[in-house]
Amino acid sequence: MRVVVCELSKAYGFLWALRDLSLEFRPGECVALLGPNGAGKTTFLKLLAALLYPTTGEIELDGEKLRQGSSHLRSSIGFLSPNQHLYENLTAEENLRFFNSLYGKGKNSAEMKRALDAVGLGRWTDDAVGALSSGMKCRLAIAKWLVVEPKLLLLDEPYGVLDGSGVDLLETYLKKLCHSGGIAVMATHHVSRALALCSRALILHQGRLIFDEPRQEPWENLQRAFGEFLPRGERWRS
Amino acid sequence: MEIVRQIAWLLWKDLLLETRRRESLLAMFFFGTLLLFVFHFAIEIPPDRAAEMAPGLLSLAFVFTGTLGLTQLFQAERENHCLEALLLCPMDRGALYLAKLLFNFLLMLLIESVVFPLFWILFNLSSWGRLPHLLGVTLLGTIGFCALGTLFSAATLRARARELLLPLVLLPLMIPVLLATIRGMEIVLRGGESYELLPWLRLLIGFDVIFTTVGFLIFEWVVEA
Amino acid sequence: MAQTSQGKPRRVLGGLAFLFILLGLYFALIEAPPDAYQGEVQRIMYLHIPSILTAYLSFLIVFIGSCLFLWKRERRDDILAHSAAEIGVLFTGLTIIEGSIWGKPTWGVWWTWDARLTLTAILFLIFVGYLMLRSLVEDEDRAAICSAVLGIVGFIDIPLIHMSVYWWRTLHQPPSILRPDKLPWENIHPSMLIALSINFVAFVLLYFYLLSLRFRLGEMEEEAKRLKLYGGSAKLTAMSMSNGGA
Repeated sequence: MRVVVCELSKAYGFLWALRDLSLEFRPGECVALLGPNGAGKTTFLKLLAALLYPTTGEIELDGEKLRQGSSHLRSSIGFLSPNQHLYENLTAEENLRFFNSLYGKGKNSAEMKRALDAVGLGRWTDDAVGALSSGMKCRLAIAKWLVVEPKLLLLDEPYGVLDGSGVDLLETYLKKLCHSGGIAVMATHHVSRALALCSRALILHQGRLIFDEPRQEPWENLQRAFGEFLPRGERWRS
Repeated sequence: MEIVRQIAWLLWKDLLLETRRRESLLAMFFFGTLLLFVFHFAIEIPPDRAAEMAPGLLSLAFVFTGTLGLTQLFQAERENHCLEALLLCPMDRGALYLAKLLFNFLLMLLIESVVFPLFWILFNLSSWGRLPHLLGVTLLGTIGFCALGTLFSAATLRARARELLLPLVLLPLMIPVLLATIRGMEIVLRGGESYELLPWLRLLIGFDVIFTTVGFLIFEWVVEA
Repeated sequence: MAQTSQGKPRRVLGGLAFLFILLGLYFALIEAPPDAYQGEVQRIMYLHIPSILTAYLSFLIVFIGSCLFLWKRERRDDILAHSAAEIGVLFTGLTIIEGSIWGKPTWGVWWTWDARLTLTAILFLIFVGYLMLRSLVEDEDRAAICSAVLGIVGFIDIPLIHMSVYWWRTLHQPPSILRPDKLPWENIHPSMLIALSINFVAFVLLYFYLLSLRFRLGEMEEEAKRLKLYGGSAKLTAMSMSNGGA
């Protein structure tokens, strides 16, 4: 899976959310997408997921342009957002079964049960999603992508709701995904965790890409670029 | 076929959610019945004219009830951004359209099959033998209603004053269906000839086919998270 | 400057419209004889019939603009459809009022549910629905797409609405071929026909003049938006809204 973004821009009415983004994601990359609130991180992720369409510019997945009609490309794209994309009144297992079928993955019940066990929800298979806590819903979302097996996984602030073992679970999954040639792009404010995991960091500010470097030790450039966005008094160290 | 499978799963999900949440069906049913009562208070339907007025009143009741159902149609998808989840799937958006159309159609059909006999009981009508034919005419009208209704329900999802906008946009477009259904039911009730009924039925079928096709093709652009 | 070069054809159009209106008024009020049965009041026909035809022409333009917009996503097609709807609602409203004024002395009532009046009223309601949809849908781009859908669906529906309303108004028996109420084409005096034709041309010219004014207004609004977005001197060239279209 290779992603090429070419002069991507998105405007909402009179405001630019993203401006002239050009970059490439290569197989196996785990990318941390950083930036202050309103920088355009979620907009960028949604554009990559084909949930929004650009005002100008384009995105290519494996050489094919992402456009309104390219539904087959969507089978390789995953989007993980805590507390979203799950039906509250269906059980955990029913949610998995439903999305498994819509994505045409053909997994059977045993495989889905295995996915639920893997994320620690084995005992809550038949509980309605509405009864689960935020952290458990996030685990269920991870289980969903374990079943669907996307090649490009987009994550929007996944760390907020997960406990210690949940974080380990997520990071193990992301490592496995990237190891097998997939790409993960994670928008987050949990900088240290993201940077420990990721192989590349992007910083967005007011819709523009102001920083793009592969991981290095020490990472003084990142400290400099990101320093101004940290809360007052906080210092981030590599 | 892929699309049939997807429609089946989407319909399964909606039916399952409906049996658990019981949002739409019961409310629509009671609302439809309530309307019949309100009509009677407003118009004081005389017993000898009930059969004559039945098509008009029943059609009105179903239009208002149906519009209520349409505003609820994408309710399950509004929670937890589930509409986004569906739009992420590698699925022809037309499949979502047909699934929602079928779901709304089934709900309305269920309600019609209860409210019709109820009307017959409330107003002491005797022509029970005509009921199946009446339901047949209404069935065709309901498909047309759901075809355009589903399309505009999705189009107005994030509009302000949605509950007002949807009927405002939909009802003028529904006039052929309304007229054809009412006239068709009238003809059936008075035992008219088939040459009178056929043009109306053809109009209904034409409407259903045209707008289900248009809806299926256009839905891609209309639905957005 | 762009405005002057675009303004000239518009001013010519406006001038022509004005001329034809004067001509039409002369023919309608002076040259053409009064109707044998209805008398002077029948002269409203010279306004009413061109009005209806222009209203339908308007919807045709909404349809064309909507189709082009959904296909190419060029902003100007959306502006065209929107402008046509706004002017169209005006002409349709006028048609209803004229029909009503004609009806009072002729039938004795301000309103009757005859096919033509009813159809005009329905057309008016569809236009209103279109404009309300535009104003109530939050995001501008979405409003454009949704109203384009309504423009297309509405246009396809019009023949069906016609059929159903005409069949409804002809007692019980729907005709096998669609035939509108007898328009006063038969036994029409030649000078009446001339007056009618001139007024029709006048209305069409007036319509296109108003449409061009409204379109220009829409273009300027769009240009203002583009200037705000892009800053500096942005020309109103290919205003593609999104490249996500077909």
